[in-house]
Amino acid sequence: MERSEDQRNGAPDADETRAVAGRRRVLQLGAIGAATIVSVRPALAQTAVSVMTCEIPVPDPARASQYIAPDGTLVAPGTPGAVPGSATPFAGEDVRRALTQGGSLPGTSADQNEAYLNYIRRLQAGTGGFTCFASIQMPR
Amino acid sequence: MTPPTDRPSDTPVSYRAAAPGATIVTPLDSLYALYDRRSGLTQLVAQPVPAILSALAEGVATPGELQARLERDFAVEGEAGALAARLDELVALGLIERL
Repeated sequence: MERSEDQRNGAPDADETRAVAGRRRVLQLGAIGAATIVSVRPALAQTAVSVMTCEIPVPDPARASQYIAPDGTLVAPGTPGAVPGSATPFAGEDVRRALTQGGSLPGTSADQNEAYLNYIRRLQAGTGGFTCFASIQMPR
Repeated sequence: MTPPTDRPSDTPVSYRAAAPGATIVTPLDSLYALYDRRSGLTQLVAQPVPAILSALAEGVATPGELQARLERDFAVEGEAGALAARLDELVALGLIERL
């Protein structure tokens, strides 16, 4: 086993230094170009948002009568290939799991799942469920 | 025409955090809600943002000084230049000032 200059001098060796570093919390500064901040408008900030229990309605209540095309856009009811919206909103945790692990939203067929996830990916500020969607995208 | 600051061009840029009490930080599991009283905006942020703001709260700092403060308290990881990118984001959102 090679002895470093530091070990011969009695200074902490590389293993000891790593052990000290391991006892401190890691602070990940991230990468250039990977934004880490989401801004929430004051109107939305009234709602207490919990990442685990927040919900995303699909589509948002104002447009509940519309159907959802496979690419997630809202279309007139009965449009070929489009699916009706979900009767119940989806939990933020279920959406996060579906988006990050590639699973399905609970209780959906493959067509519904694809349409709903694409709808969710298109959510913009001001649409119901946007705050929940923004919060589930944050890195751990 | 006088430049916007009277800092000579070869002086390193430095950053300043908002005054104490200007923002309220609330942990939400892995996120932090950061309410900026001046603008009424709430930002949802993750580390390293609260760590950077806390380190800057100690006083005006250049990026090098800020890096040293962070390394004093944490085992810092990330791409070279990541701290500069995070500082740019925070300036763009009005959470810190570039001097």
